[in-house]
Amino acid sequence: MSDLHWLTAAEATRAFATRKLSPVELMTALLARIERLDPKLHAFIRLDADAAMDAARAAEAEIVKGRVRGPLHGVPIGIKDIIDVAGLPTTCHSKILVDNVAKADSVVVSKLRAAGAIVVGKLSTHEFAIGGPSFDLPFPPARNPWNPDHHPGGSSSGSGAGVSAGLFPLALGTDTGGSVRNPASCCGIVGLKPTYGLVSRRGVFPLSFTLDHVGPMTRTVADNALLLDAIAGHDPADPGSAPSTARHFGRMLDRGVRDLRIGFVRHFHETDKPAHPEVTAALEDAARVLQAAGAELRNVTLPSLNEFAAVNRVILCSEAWSIHAPWLRERPGDYGQLSRQRLLPGAFINAGDYVGAQRRRAQMIATVEDAFRDCDVLICASSMDPASRIEDAAETARTYPRQARTPFNVTGHPAVAMMSGVSSNGLPLSVQFVGRYFEDATVLRVAAAYERGTDWHRKHPSLT
Amino acid sequence: MDKELIAKLALAAGLGKALADFPDDVAMAAEQALGNQGGIAYPADPAAEPWPPMRAGSGL
Repeated sequence: MSDLHWLTAAEATRAFATRKLSPVELMTALLARIERLDPKLHAFIRLDADAAMDAARAAEAEIVKGRVRGPLHGVPIGIKDIIDVAGLPTTCHSKILVDNVAKADSVVVSKLRAAGAIVVGKLSTHEFAIGGPSFDLPFPPARNPWNPDHHPGGSSSGSGAGVSAGLFPLALGTDTGGSVRNPASCCGIVGLKPTYGLVSRRGVFPLSFTLDHVGPMTRTVADNALLLDAIAGHDPADPGSAPSTARHFGRMLDRGVRDLRIGFVRHFHETDKPAHPEVTAALEDAARVLQAAGAELRNVTLPSLNEFAAVNRVILCSEAWSIHAPWLRERPGDYGQLSRQRLLPGAFINAGDYVGAQRRRAQMIATVEDAFRDCDVLICASSMDPASRIEDAAETARTYPRQARTPFNVTGHPAVAMMSGVSSNGLPLSVQFVGRYFEDATVLRVAAAYERGTDWHRKHPSLT
Repeated sequence: MDKELIAKLALAAGLGKALADFPDDVAMAAEQALGNQGGIAYPADPAAEPWPPMRAGSGL
């Protein structure tokens, strides 16, 4: 088999089952690619190559004997470095936790091991999942495989860069204000923020209890469903975990969108934060693809992006302050400048504003739920611009808030971002689909229909 | 925003070290926190509750 690095998880497990490929061959190819490309991309904070190769050998031996542990047996995966993997550092890309070693697996990593996946290492993030692409941290920021001079998005930067570059087919990210969907958008892959409470957050360093989600990042929609199957499930020890029985997220991927009612939230990118013309054109194209496949399109109006962002900011800053206050008081110089600037506002937000934002959030949820009475899925922008140049701090600061992802952290609805085109300067463009609570499978169904109607998922960055 | 007020609020929050070492970051944070207030249409109905309300006994 050639181009092993572009194999999806689904293709790899099929090849393992038919003995056309072994987990050791795949791991060998990926580790060689990582060795060659990661010095430019910085997707990894800690590569665990020896343990990954040992696990690949063990998987190969088990599969040969017909003992298949689960649907991801032998498939390599990268883990964002705010998620605990026993025995490996969880640094959160920060000097504050640079010596912190996880004593136990997070729940999601335990589930991945049970499904047979192999952890290849810990991945770059914005510091504590809030900073930005920073050069004053203990590790360099990840870079965009489509053009390493550009930002790969964040905060799950290494996850997006690594999946897009073919360093591993699967990754986990986290999403508090869009941090799975932003790197998915910037790097041209598929990133899902599941319904709030569907995936356990135990063993994941928190940023905002109300807004935090763990999500799958992959190159195809089918792989996204596979990975979500592996990590979803009720966790009674996570206070935000929902007792949902939602399962088999790939069961509707082939069903198409005929007769689905899709609401287009045009004001997000037309008036709230007017998008780059190429983003707008790609969004209209995406809507046409779904219409051509039989979906019924209608316009939907939600609260403004600015208000969603303000509610997100007040809740996030307040809750993050309650987590970081001791370090911000004692060790403010051990944070990078960007994260310090983004965490300190929590010290100045009063209780009334925090509770007021939570009360407004309740109304916003009601508004989005109302929209879902007349629609099955929403389509809207993800990023309003292609990725900025990573060393252009002013451009990154300008474009970073120009996005439509925070609304669905505020409301908790499932939302997937995926590639919708390539800009004139060769960077991915993106679209976002949003669904009802616990109808993550329907969101992926629409994403799969869109994927079938386009060729974007077949395009990869040309890395040398 | 008044610099003395920012300093008092920062000290009350225990941010003396940050105020001494990173006064611009502290000032920017205070300005941002104040700026958030205008952006949200807080509910006028006194009975509008935050969501989700307390769920006694579940998940604890």
